[in-house]
Amino acid sequence: MKVTYNWLKEMVDINVSPEELAKKLTSAGMEVEEIIYQNEHLHHVVVGKILKIEKHPQADRLVVCQVDIGSEVVQIITAATNVFEGTLVPVSLEGADLCNGIKISKTKMRGVDSCGMFCSGEELGIDENYMEGAGVHGILILPNELKPGTPIDKALMLDDVVFDIGITPNRADCMSVIGIAREVCALLGRELKKLNLSYDIDVYAKDTIWDYVNVDVKTPNCYRYMASAVTNVKIERSPLWMRARLNAVGVKPINTMVDITNYVLIECGQPMHAFDQANIGGQKIIVRQGKEGESIDVLNHNTYNLDESVMVIADAERPMVIAGVIGGTDSCITDQTKTCVFESAVFDLKSIRLTSRKYGVRTDSSARYAKGVNVANAELGMSRALHLVSKLKCGKVVRGRIDIASKENKTRHITGNVSTINDILGVTIASQDMVRILNSLGIVTKCYGNKLECDVPPYREDIENDYDLAEEVIRMYGYDVYDRLGYNLFEHATITEGQHHPRLWLERKFRNALVQDGYFENVSYTLVSGDINQKLLLNEEENKLVRIANPIGEEISCMRTSLAHSLLQNIAYNLSLGNKDLRFFECGRTYKAKSLPLEELPIEKNMLGIVVYENGYNFFNLKAAVENVLNMTSCEAKIERSNKPFLHPGISADYKCGEEVVASFGKVHPVVCKNYDLPENIFYAEINTEFLAELPVKKYSVNAISKFPIVDRDLAVVVDECVTCGELLESIKSSCGKLYYDASLFDVYRSESLGQNKKSMAFNIKLSDLEKTLTDEDVAVVMKKVLKALEYKFGASLR
Amino acid sequence: MLLDELKSAQAQAEQDIVAAQSMKEINEIRGKVFGKSGILTSLSRGMRDVAPEERPKVGALINEVRTALEAALEDKQTQLEQAELNLKLESEQIDITEPAQGKCKGALHPIPSVIDRLCDICVELGFSVVEGPEVESDYYNFEAMNIPKNHPSRDMQDTFFINDNILLRSQTSAVQAREMEVKKPPFKIICPGKTYRNDSDSTHSPVFHQLEGLVIDENVSMADLKSMLTIIMKRLYGDDTVIRFRPSFFPFTEPSIEVDVSCPTCHGKGCSLCKGTGMLELLGAGIVNPKVLEMSGIDSKKYRGFAFGFGLDRTAMILNSIGNIKYLYKNDKRFLEQMK
Repeated sequence: MKVTYNWLKEMVDINVSPEELAKKLTSAGMEVEEIIYQNEHLHHVVVGKILKIEKHPQADRLVVCQVDIGSEVVQIITAATNVFEGTLVPVSLEGADLCNGIKISKTKMRGVDSCGMFCSGEELGIDENYMEGAGVHGILILPNELKPGTPIDKALMLDDVVFDIGITPNRADCMSVIGIAREVCALLGRELKKLNLSYDIDVYAKDTIWDYVNVDVKTPNCYRYMASAVTNVKIERSPLWMRARLNAVGVKPINTMVDITNYVLIECGQPMHAFDQANIGGQKIIVRQGKEGESIDVLNHNTYNLDESVMVIADAERPMVIAGVIGGTDSCITDQTKTCVFESAVFDLKSIRLTSRKYGVRTDSSARYAKGVNVANAELGMSRALHLVSKLKCGKVVRGRIDIASKENKTRHITGNVSTINDILGVTIASQDMVRILNSLGIVTKCYGNKLECDVPPYREDIENDYDLAEEVIRMYGYDVYDRLGYNLFEHATITEGQHHPRLWLERKFRNALVQDGYFENVSYTLVSGDINQKLLLNEEENKLVRIANPIGEEISCMRTSLAHSLLQNIAYNLSLGNKDLRFFECGRTYKAKSLPLEELPIEKNMLGIVVYENGYNFFNLKAAVENVLNMTSCEAKIERSNKPFLHPGISADYKCGEEVVASFGKVHPVVCKNYDLPENIFYAEINTEFLAELPVKKYSVNAISKFPIVDRDLAVVVDECVTCGELLESIKSSCGKLYYDASLFDVYRSESLGQNKKSMAFNIKLSDLEKTLTDEDVAVVMKKVLKALEYKFGASLR
Repeated sequence: MLLDELKSAQAQAEQDIVAAQSMKEINEIRGKVFGKSGILTSLSRGMRDVAPEERPKVGALINEVRTALEAALEDKQTQLEQAELNLKLESEQIDITEPAQGKCKGALHPIPSVIDRLCDICVELGFSVVEGPEVESDYYNFEAMNIPKNHPSRDMQDTFFINDNILLRSQTSAVQAREMEVKKPPFKIICPGKTYRNDSDSTHSPVFHQLEGLVIDENVSMADLKSMLTIIMKRLYGDDTVIRFRPSFFPFTEPSIEVDVSCPTCHGKGCSLCKGTGMLELLGAGIVNPKVLEMSGIDSKKYRGFAFGFGLDRTAMILNSIGNIKYLYKNDKRFLEQMK
């Protein structure tokens, strides 16, 4: 919301500088986001009168002008062709710094001195709407009544200071100059000056409003509708002071009637509409809901189809305005308008919000209605508009006023409690200070002991209870009271037991372990493109996509169903940058709808994903990473082949704990690699952290350690290719019985001499006894048993 | 006579020891002096010719010379060994600026890292860490937070919708009502997590992270909020950190405030990070609106609460001097490596 310093000064006696005022407003919750000095680029520019024009001796296209700038006569050379002796023009002198970046200094042009430059409207930052002649290509010719030497910002009323203020949604009443002025009054301890609402009426005239228009309100979404008529309308440029105000707050000046409605909108926060009375069919205004099949051409050059959800202002035949949002072209004010009907209305904010969103149209009017305009405001707006008509002498106000209201905003009475307010704030503010502050804000308050009896004005619908009063008190009293307060953590707060989140805590252990092993943590968008399942070869039925209705782009339109997508994309991105040796992981969620269309919240599952692209890295390196993670938990998992569609079917595995898959890992399927533009040797693992976090904490139970030496034996056997290492190790272990200490594979060898489909596997077996030193005979007995079992179960032969 | 010989032998031996350059020479000298045919040995034999009354004195002298020479030899030997060792060590010197070997460690991402840190800080202060769904119902994200449908407060956030009733949570505040419905006061919770807004430009990411804090207790006030936030911010940004309140508006708190934190880079002096103001606008906070308590089944006559929330992306960026929010989600290894 933009307001100006001068506009505020019209309503409040302000005795502080614009900067100080801005600071005070911000400290009270009206955040001044920007202070704009209109004349920032207008210094050293004055009104000049051209006394004499002579040809430049060296240049045909230039002329030498003698210019009266009040204090002296200076010589200026120009190429402009629209200046004559006797005309008044803006003259920029040495030191000027114009808004288009031009800096002025004394120069010589073709050997003749020039003290400055004449300015166009554009160079002063104004256009044709602001001033006649300001839009032309050439020098701005100023009105004759100006005095040479007058600074141009004064002469053209461009000397105001504009505040751009962020208004919070609870303060719709501050979307107006008067609203901000009320805050200024409270901050400076001033009274709000009464707005002039008087206007002239010809009491002898016979005609009344009803001779021009009748109003019928047929929808409950219209809380109040006021109409007044003005005859003998003069449609012309508004006076400069009005144009200056509108221009300063970013509203384009158009003509008297339209400018008045905009002026009232900004000043009073009351949206107004002006109809050309001649175009109101049947002289009847009907406020109703739209009908299917109706349409309207509106001022933004669009045509909108209407329906029952849209409130319109219609005449006897057709809709004229989309109520509160935008006017139609048929009934608007034109240069030919003779009689004008003003509307000052209040509509239901929900209705306006829905319509504004439906058509994607946001106007100054809809913005105010959508935040809520109070019913009492319509009257203020209408009276102010009629006052301006009188002031501008641009029409005759007709007797009588139509006012149809279905709601009213009254002053409400609430009771506050001084100690509750102080308890909420945690500071002690005297009751008389509270009374002073609330009164200054227009909340008429009396204090009886601990009680505050408050009359809340209609425009403060946000004030309901002690919490609201506390906020009003403290923001005016000043939050800096807390700067002086020390801190005392448990003065009032109960001591509570803090607990880490079990899964986050477990993830933290995993993440730190992976980092030690050279992995880098990733954080990716959980929003992905809709083809995620196809790219990962995932079944759509089991991976139902959660799709955003209003995405920014297709690339981020769905919630991911697998971490693999994010991590594979991260690898692809890094490879495209030329980064090498990539070990990444991410802890994050996957999202799967239970049914589509989505009726209940989807299943969100936390996973740990690991991805690697690194020279020499293989399945078993990845297996180690997975096992290291699982070993931090009490999970006892068995390995099986995996059927994850995005993994290579022969080079992938699942760890299962009961029926639950706790980890899937392996080489990424070559088709998936292709889908992500990746080379083939990518490894991926995902770990079900959510399941692991629910397991009991890992418990340790230490075995007795033998004081006798461990005996080492190696054993190599030849077996068929289909025999697995796991099976052999399990057999070895059981054959060793209580002497078993450890067994591990240390070599696998294949050669033609072994035979086709055969491999030799070499194991290192460690035996130990708690009671004694093992003799060679003891060991031989065990080793024989081990070999026998392997021969019997797996057809193994000693190599 | 014997004494003269002894003296000259000692002098000769001492001279030889000084001149010796290697262990070999030392051993030769040792042989020449103490060996079977060494000078001292033969001189000792000469004792027979010494008058008996002189013998103790001469014997003592010979022993003195023996001890002195042995010590000198020992010294010289140590000296030579030391020199040899020094030479060996010197020859083994390596270039210590060659790179470390073995698998280098990876690194945590700055956002989860800052979450770890804040969880530690807050758990110590009695907060429990909780989570909630990211795909959330309109009720928990908005309505239970005192933001009814079609209310002007909805304009404050651009939300991603799945349908009329389900959306991507636009604030971690969505967890407040869920927790209030199940927890018995007094309690303190924080909720870190991902949040989503339909907003993407140079300073906004559609996916980002927030941390929400909520304290429900009997007598807590704005002053307690100040105490709690002061401690959390001091732990996060350093002990000289101060915080300041400014009025603001959130539908779920009343009064609502913005919290400015003294700039951790310039310590309040003014720098490019804080645009010369010395303060950074970092948190939103306030006293929980009693309407929110009531909606979630908490007696607002008996209990009061305060809540605070802030963006973790910004926190991570400030703590690690990260200049570009886009770095956070690209996972470029050249960025991640800098977090080692």
